[in-house]
Amino acid sequence: MKRILIFIFLLITSTGFIYAGGNLLLKNGTILTVTRGVIPRGDILIMDGLIKQIGENITPPPGVKVIDVSGKYIIPGIIDSHTHIALAGTNETGSANTAEVNMRDVLDAEDTSIFTAISGGVTTIHTLHGSANPIGGQNITLKLKWGKKAEEMIFPQAWPTLKFALGENVTQANRQLSPGEERRYPASRMGVVAFIRRELERARNYLAEWDRYNELKKIKLLNRPLLPPRKDLQLEVLADLLRGKLVARCHSYRADETLEFIKLSHEFGFRIACFEHIPEAYKIARELAAEKIGISVFMDSWAYKVEAAEGIATMPAFCTQQGVLVSLNSDSNERIRRLFNDAAKAIKYGGLSEDEALKLITLNPAIQLGVDKYVGSIEVGKHGDLAVFNEHPLSAYTRCDLTIIEGEVYFDREAYLKERQEAQKASPRPKATGGDQ
Amino acid sequence: MRIQKIWPLFLILSLSILSGLARAEEIVAITNVRIVPVVGNDIEKGTIIIRGEKIENIGPDIVIPQGAKIINGQGLTAYPGLIDGYSQLGLSEIGSVQATIDFRETGRINPQVLATEALRPDSMHIPVTRSNGITAALVAPSGGLISGRSGLIQLYGWTPSEMVIKAPVAMHVELPAARAGFRRQANQPSEGSRLLDEVRELLDQARWYEKRKIAASKNKLIPFPEFDEKLEALIPVIHGELPLMISVHSASDIRSAIKFVQEQKVRAIFYGVSQGWMVAREIAQAGIPVIFASLHQLPPSWEDGYDALYRNPGVLRQAGVKIAFSSSSASLAKELPYHAAKAAAFGLDKREALKAVTIYPAEIFGVDQLMGSLEKDKLANIVLAEGDILELRTVIRHVFIRGQEIDLSSIYTEYLEKYKKRVEKK
Amino acid sequence: MRIKKIYLLSLLVCFFLLPATASTGPTYAIVNCRIVSPPLPVIEKGVIIIRDGLIEAVGIQGKIDIPEDAQIIEAEGMTAYPGLINAHTNLFLEAVQEPAQQAPGATRPQAPAERTPTRPDLQVLTQLKPRKSDIDNFHRIGVTTVLVAPQRGIFAGQSVLLNLNGEKIEDMVVKNPVALHIQFVTERGSYPNSLMGTMAYLRQSFLDAAHYAEHLATWKKSPRFLVRPVYNPFLEALIPFVVERKPVIFTCNNQEDIKRAIRLTQEFKLQAILSGANEAWRVGEELKAAKLPLLVALNFRPPTTSIYATRGEAIRRQAEQEIYPANAAELQKLGLTFALTSLGLSDASTFQKNIQQAIKAGLPAETALKALTVIPAQLLGIDSFLGTIEAGKIANIVLCKGEIFDPKGEIQKVWVDGRLFKIEKAPEAKAPAAFSVAGSWRVTISSPMGEMEMTMELEQEGSSVRGQLISNYGRWEIRGGQLSIQELTFTVSIEIMGRTFEASFQGKVEKETMEGTVQIPGGTADFRATRIPRSL
Repeated sequence: MKRILIFIFLLITSTGFIYAGGNLLLKNGTILTVTRGVIPRGDILIMDGLIKQIGENITPPPGVKVIDVSGKYIIPGIIDSHTHIALAGTNETGSANTAEVNMRDVLDAEDTSIFTAISGGVTTIHTLHGSANPIGGQNITLKLKWGKKAEEMIFPQAWPTLKFALGENVTQANRQLSPGEERRYPASRMGVVAFIRRELERARNYLAEWDRYNELKKIKLLNRPLLPPRKDLQLEVLADLLRGKLVARCHSYRADETLEFIKLSHEFGFRIACFEHIPEAYKIARELAAEKIGISVFMDSWAYKVEAAEGIATMPAFCTQQGVLVSLNSDSNERIRRLFNDAAKAIKYGGLSEDEALKLITLNPAIQLGVDKYVGSIEVGKHGDLAVFNEHPLSAYTRCDLTIIEGEVYFDREAYLKERQEAQKASPRPKATGGDQ
Repeated sequence: MRIQKIWPLFLILSLSILSGLARAEEIVAITNVRIVPVVGNDIEKGTIIIRGEKIENIGPDIVIPQGAKIINGQGLTAYPGLIDGYSQLGLSEIGSVQATIDFRETGRINPQVLATEALRPDSMHIPVTRSNGITAALVAPSGGLISGRSGLIQLYGWTPSEMVIKAPVAMHVELPAARAGFRRQANQPSEGSRLLDEVRELLDQARWYEKRKIAASKNKLIPFPEFDEKLEALIPVIHGELPLMISVHSASDIRSAIKFVQEQKVRAIFYGVSQGWMVAREIAQAGIPVIFASLHQLPPSWEDGYDALYRNPGVLRQAGVKIAFSSSSASLAKELPYHAAKAAAFGLDKREALKAVTIYPAEIFGVDQLMGSLEKDKLANIVLAEGDILELRTVIRHVFIRGQEIDLSSIYTEYLEKYKKRVEKK
Repeated sequence: MRIKKIYLLSLLVCFFLLPATASTGPTYAIVNCRIVSPPLPVIEKGVIIIRDGLIEAVGIQGKIDIPEDAQIIEAEGMTAYPGLINAHTNLFLEAVQEPAQQAPGATRPQAPAERTPTRPDLQVLTQLKPRKSDIDNFHRIGVTTVLVAPQRGIFAGQSVLLNLNGEKIEDMVVKNPVALHIQFVTERGSYPNSLMGTMAYLRQSFLDAAHYAEHLATWKKSPRFLVRPVYNPFLEALIPFVVERKPVIFTCNNQEDIKRAIRLTQEFKLQAILSGANEAWRVGEELKAAKLPLLVALNFRPPTTSIYATRGEAIRRQAEQEIYPANAAELQKLGLTFALTSLGLSDASTFQKNIQQAIKAGLPAETALKALTVIPAQLLGIDSFLGTIEAGKIANIVLCKGEIFDPKGEIQKVWVDGRLFKIEKAPEAKAPAAFSVAGSWRVTISSPMGEMEMTMELEQEGSSVRGQLISNYGRWEIRGGQLSIQELTFTVSIEIMGRTFEASFQGKVEKETMEGTVQIPGGTADFRATRIPRSL
C-alpha cells in the first residue's frame, strides 16, 4: 500500500498534474512571455489548466470560453514569494524555536487579502511564518484560487521550506519591556547564532539517537527492554532540514549576519534557498552569487528600522547584474497588489531590461520555490497562470483587469464592477452624492 | 510679537536668504528640449532661459543670451519641479528609532508647534527624494487632535532657513481614520463630530482671548489675559489667515467637517478624504481643496471596493474639487509621482494628475506665483526627465531648484558606488 | 463589628442544618396522551407509568394497568416527548477570568506538559454552581438533560452529563466523565499562543501520551535496565483518550477547525465527536468521508473568519438570518449524524427560537426531535437508559399541548428522573424598563469593617425584580425589587441563626455595573456590583 501511495505521489509531483484545470482562449493580446520574447499580437490556448498553444489566430476547440484581450498585455501570473496572507496567525512566539508549527494547519481560504492579491495579478504566493523567532515554522506555497477550499490552493510541487530569522525582530530590539520583564533569549546577534547552532546540534543528536535505536532493534538477542526515543516534532523537522528534505528561507537584514548564517549552513550541511529582505545584499553580492543562494527583497521600502537604513533601491538591479537570483516580494497585504509597479522601478534604478524586470516577479521567484517547471513564464506545457493588464505592466498607468489561474478566471475587473453596482443598489448604505460609484 | 503678522515676513526673509544661495545672476539655457509647462500648451521643442533664480524666458524660438551655460535637452522633457502635498521629510529618519522622529509632539492639543522648526536639512531622505524630481514639499506635524503647524520647504539648502519657502502654511487637525483593511468593519460610530466640537470650543476661546487682548490694549484698567501660546497660535486661523488642514476620512466626518468650516468661517484644506468619492459634490460646492494621503493603503471597508482610494481622486476632480497628491512619508517621498499615476490608471485624467503634483498644490499653498509651472518669472524649479515624469521607468537627468543645478547623488548612489568597487577589484 | 461575627457563626450553623436526602416521589400515570418518541412508532392514545424515577410501563390506552398509588395526569389533547438532551453547554460555570500569564523566558524548549497549564484531568463537575433560574429556563423549553463541558484551555477537561432534576449537583449526575474536551484556542502569554502552535502542541501531546504509555507498559513488563518513567499527571490524564480511545469532543468554531479535528482524529485514531460546527455544511463532503458524529450548535452567527463576516454588516446579517440557520437542514440532506446543542447561545429561549428557525429553514421536525433525544443519547453512550420513552428507562418526559417545536406549542409539564415540574408561562414582558438587571452579579459590600463578596441572581418582569442573594453564609430571597429607569431598590430578609433582619438596597444601575447603599439595622454600607457574563 505504501509503495502505491509513493508512486501516486511521485506521479503527481513530477507531472504538471492539476487538481481540476479549466479551458480558456485569450485572443489578440500582447504576450510578454518573459523567457521567449514578446509576441505583439497573439493568442494563448489553455486546456485542462495547462498552456496548450501560443501563437496567432488560434481556433478555439468547441465549448472553450474565449476572451478577447485586444489592446491588452498578458504576463505570467505574478508570484509573491514572501507574504503572510491566507493564514490564521503569523507567529508562534511562545518559544524561540518553533519548527514544529506548520502553516498548513492554519490556512485561511477566506482571507480577503487573497482577493486584494489577485486584483493585482498575483497567482502564486509563498506564505510564511513570521520573523519573531530565530527558528520559525514550516511554510507553504499556494495558488490563489479565491473561492475554492484551502486544500485546493496548495501547490504540492513547491519545495518544503523552513523559516529562519535573524536581526532586530528576533532579538526584539525595538520592543519596550514592562517593568520587571526580562528579554527573551537570544537578545543579541551573537546569541542568535549560538541559539541556532545549539538547536541544530540537538537535531543532530536526535538523529543519532534514532539511528542507535534502529541498530539495537536489529539485535535479536538483546536481553534488555528497548524503548524507542521520544518522537519530538520540532527535532523531526530540523532533522529533515539536515537530511535535505527541507530548505531554509532566512529573514536577514545585515550583510554580516547573513554571512554568519551561510557559515552555519556549511557547518551543518543544510541548504539555504533564499534570504528574505536582506537590504544589504549589494554588499555581499559576490558571496551570494558564489553560494547560489537567491534573495527575495523589497524594491524600495527602507529606513523603518536601523538594520534597514542602508537599503538602496538599486540593489535588486545590481545584484541581478552580479549573478544573484533576485525576486521582489511584498510582505504586505497592501503592497502585494503593486508588485508590477515595483518591478518597473528596477529599470529606472539600475538599468535592468524589461524582461529582467518582469522576471523579478515571475520566473525568479518560481525558481526560488522550486516550481519553475510549472509556472513563472508563458510557455507551452506550463500552468495557465496569467495576468492581463490594460496598459504595459511596467507602466505606472497600468491596471490589472484579469487574473487567471490554471485556465480559470479568478479576478475579472469588469465583472467585479458590475457586481459592485448591483450590491450598492441593494445596500442599506447611504448613497453617494456625486461622482460615479 | 503677534504671530499672525510674522509669516509674510518669514516669506520675505527666506527669499532674501535663499537668493544668497544662487550665484550672482548665472544664466543657463536648456535647449532642444520638450517642454511641459503644465499651464498652457506643451512645446515640442523649445528653450528655457534661467537667469539667477528665475525663468527669464521660455518658448519655441528664443534667442540665447551671451555667456549662457548651454544644457542640451535633446531627448529630454522639462517639467516643473513636483510639489509634495504632505510629508515628513526632514522630520523622520528611521521609523523605529524614537530619537529620529520629530513630527509628533506629546499631548492632544499643540497648535503652537511649527514643523519647520524641527527640520533636519541633512536628512538622508531629501537627496533621494529630489533626485526623483520633487523640488518642494509640505512638512507637517501629526498626532493628537491639533498636531501643530506645517511649512513648505524646498528640497535644497544647508540650513532650515535656506530651505523654508513659507511657514506656517496650515494648522493641522486630525480626525481619526476608520481602521484600514477589510477585516475590520467601518461600523465604529464616528468620533469626528465630537472632536470638531472640541476644536470649535478652542476657536471660541481664541476669539475671546483676542478680544480680551484688544480690549486690554485700549483700556489700561483691563488687565491682559495670561499668555496662552495655544490660543495665540489659533488667532490667525479664526481670521482666515491660516487655513486649517483637516485630516478627515469617513463620509460622515467629511460632512461634519464641511459644516464646521462653513459655520466657523475659517479657510480649510482637507487631507486624506478616503471616502470623499461618496460626498464629492458637497466638497466641490464647499470649495474646499483636497490633498490625498498616500494611495498605497487599503480602503477602510470591503464595501468601498478594492480600488476605492485609487478612483477617489478621479471622482473628486470630475466633481470640480481642486486636488493634490502627497507621499505622507519621508523614506518613500520619492513615490509622489506614482500616486498621481495610479489615480490616472483608475480614471483621473493624466493631465489633471500632473497638475495635482505641480500647479494645484502650489495654488493650495498660496505659492503659485513662485512655482508649480514653467512660466516666465517663476522660480526655476525645473526637472529634465527622459520621458513622462509620472512614469515608473523614467530616469531623471537634471534637477534645478531656484536655478541651481542639484547634485543627484544620494545614499542610494553613494553606497552603490562604494560596493561596486568591491566587485570591480577581482 | 457585631454584624460580621453573626455571619461567621451562621456559616457554621448552616453547615449542620443541611437537609436530608430527597424523598421518594409520587407515582404518576399519564393517560390519554399521544406519545412521540422516535424511532419508535407513534402511540396516538397512550399511557405512561412513572415510579421511583423510572418509566415503569408505556403502551396503548387500555392495554396498561393504572396502579393504585398513581396520581392520574390527564393528558387528553397533549403529546408526550422524551426529555430533550442538550449535548453541549457551559451551564453552571462561572465566567472565567483570564489569569495573568507572563511570557516565560524559556531558554530550553520544554515538553508540552511543562509549558502550559491546560488541564486534561479537570473534572468540570467540581466547578459547577447550579442555578435554579437556568434549570427553570431549560425546563420551559423541554430540556431535561444537559452535558456540561469545561470552557477554558486547549485540553479543557472532562465533561459531565446532568439530569436537571433539582438543586443538588450530586442528584443530577448521570454520567461522569463523558468525554475529554479539546478546543482550538491558544494560551495567551505562553506556549502555544497561536493556532499553529496549538496544532503542533496537540500532536506532540498525543505522541507523548502514547510514548509515556509505552514506557509505563514496557517498564511494568520488565523493569530491569530500563529507566523508570517519571510520573506525569498531564500525560496520565491523556492516556485513556489517546491510547484507550475513550471519547474526545473537539469544539470547532469554523469550517477550518472541523478539518483540523478530522486530520488529528485520523492521524491519531481518536474516537472523536465534533461540536459547535455551525458551518459544517461547508465541509459536508469531508465530514461524510470522515464519518464523524456531530454536535451542531444552533448558533447562527457567522464565525469571524467566515467570508460572510468580513464583507460588511449587511452580508453578515443576511448570513445570520438566512444562510446559517439552514446548516442542520443541509447536513440532514447529506445524510450526516448529528445532535443539536445550544453551545454559544446566551439563554434557553433563544435555543428554542433557533430550533424553530432551523426547522423553518428546512430541517424536518422529526429529525430535530431525534437530534435532541435518541441521537445525543447514542453519541454520548447513554441510550440504554435515556433518549426514548421506553419501559425501564429513566423518566424524563415532556408533556406538551401541541407540537413541541411549534411556536404555538405549550410545554406544560416536565418530569426529570420522575420528578414533576409544572411549567409556568414565561412572564409577559410588561412595560419595558430602561434596563434589564436580570442575570448574575458579583456584589461587594464595603463597610468600615471591611468588604464582603457575594453573588446576586436577578430576574426581572417589567419593573419588578426578584431573585436571590447568595453568600458564603446562605441564600436569601430578594423581595419587592423595583426598577425605575436606572434606580433599583429591593429588600432582602437575611436569616441567620434564627435571627432575621432586613437589608434595604438602593442603587443606580448601568448596563454592566451597579452602585449604591445598603441599609441594615445598625448602619449603612456601600455596595458595588458587576455583571457576571454567562453563556450556555
